[in-house]
Amino acid sequence: MRIDPEECGGCLECIDFCPMGCILERDVGVAIDEDDCVECGVCLRAGVCPTDALYMPEESMRWPRVIRAQFSDPGVQHPGMNQGGRGTEEMKTNDVTGRFRRGEYGMALEFGRPGIGTRLTEIEKVLKVLAAMDVELERNNPVFLLVEDPRTGRLKPEVLQEKVLSAILEFKIREAQLENVVRALQPVLAEIDTVVSWGLATRFAEDGTLPVRQRLEALGVSARPNAKINMGMGRPIVER
Amino acid sequence: MSHALHRHGTVAQLQNDYTFYARTSRYVNREGCGPKLRKILSILLEEKSLVNFGSSHSGKSYEAGLNPEEYATTLDKAYGVAACFSDKETIRSILAKLKEADTGISIVISGLIDEVVKIAKDLGLKPHTAFLSLGVHGKKALLPEDRVLQVTTMCGHGQVATRLTKAVMDRVKEGKMTPEAGAHLLAQPCPCGIFNTRRCATILEAYREEARAGSAS
Repeated sequence: MRIDPEECGGCLECIDFCPMGCILERDVGVAIDEDDCVECGVCLRAGVCPTDALYMPEESMRWPRVIRAQFSDPGVQHPGMNQGGRGTEEMKTNDVTGRFRRGEYGMALEFGRPGIGTRLTEIEKVLKVLAAMDVELERNNPVFLLVEDPRTGRLKPEVLQEKVLSAILEFKIREAQLENVVRALQPVLAEIDTVVSWGLATRFAEDGTLPVRQRLEALGVSARPNAKINMGMGRPIVER
Repeated sequence: MSHALHRHGTVAQLQNDYTFYARTSRYVNREGCGPKLRKILSILLEEKSLVNFGSSHSGKSYEAGLNPEEYATTLDKAYGVAACFSDKETIRSILAKLKEADTGISIVISGLIDEVVKIAKDLGLKPHTAFLSLGVHGKKALLPEDRVLQVTTMCGHGQVATRLTKAVMDRVKEGKMTPEAGAHLLAQPCPCGIFNTRRCATILEAYREEARAGSAS
């Protein structure tokens, strides 16, 4: 995003709307720190600029900067994903897709949330750890499109310094891997230069319980009391 | 919208916060989903305690002026409908109607696990998959205070700014804005309809009352 200095009247109305806090007051008017801007478009859509000084320049849609909008503006679709929002169905349709089956856990690491944003460098740090483990990276996920080499966890070098509002790294593990994967992730997550919201998808047991909660408790990563729950109302249902 | 599992708050603070999703799969049942999603939308609209609805493809939520009739026309080949409610009994009512309607579209409820599972058992539903939140990790020193997070994490795509939230909290505290008006303003950047304005107004009102009592910072 950019602000036309000739048009900006200096009313400051747009400043509060920026999720990254990168609209800065200047001696005259305001300006956007383009290195910190994630191209979410919130400032523009807020419609608060009385002089229409806010605009998205053509450069914002050029590779690799274009990934900022793709990961940060829910109205911009990821190419090839045919999926709005974050670009993933995750477990919302698991009752009909069987993406996460019994004996498996899905993991989702949402980098940059809540409210901080992330450089792609931070995702690569975790990807490199995961690459050394026997986990299954989700290919139908926009982050995977940026991976240069799944065997090493390296991302395409030109995207590393791009900043996005958030990006979800998804992968699947076998139930038996839980302890090893959690213990491997804890130190690298503690060192990264942003925040990560960590999610785990699991099938309900036949008796309607979630046995993984006790295992997580023992690992020091207790599940919160709220969750997303697929109610099993999709058809045809995948039971396995 | 994958963030709804991470809505911030304690059990007591989440009693009035339930989100609803009807989701088609691009691999299974998106083709021809329009009439089914419209049926689901009509069930949601019947509920008097519906707080907000929409989806990111609509570009704006009900709180931001989304017209229900116009929205219904956009649901062919859509990935779904999202909504939020402030009480669990409405969720019970909706699930009962959806069980009867048997649309075959995946339904996801985000809320307190024990409450949602109990409702499912009462209705004879068998929950399939849970997406648990293991909390926030990393550089947590960067995060704002809990009360701000309770508000900002209600937007599934992180479009509600910390700074805007703090500014609205200040305006409400100073009596320049009602909690309801503040909640309405904060809902504007969130296009997908899961920003719970009723819960937000409660949070803002509590902040104002604490300030009046001299305990808010």
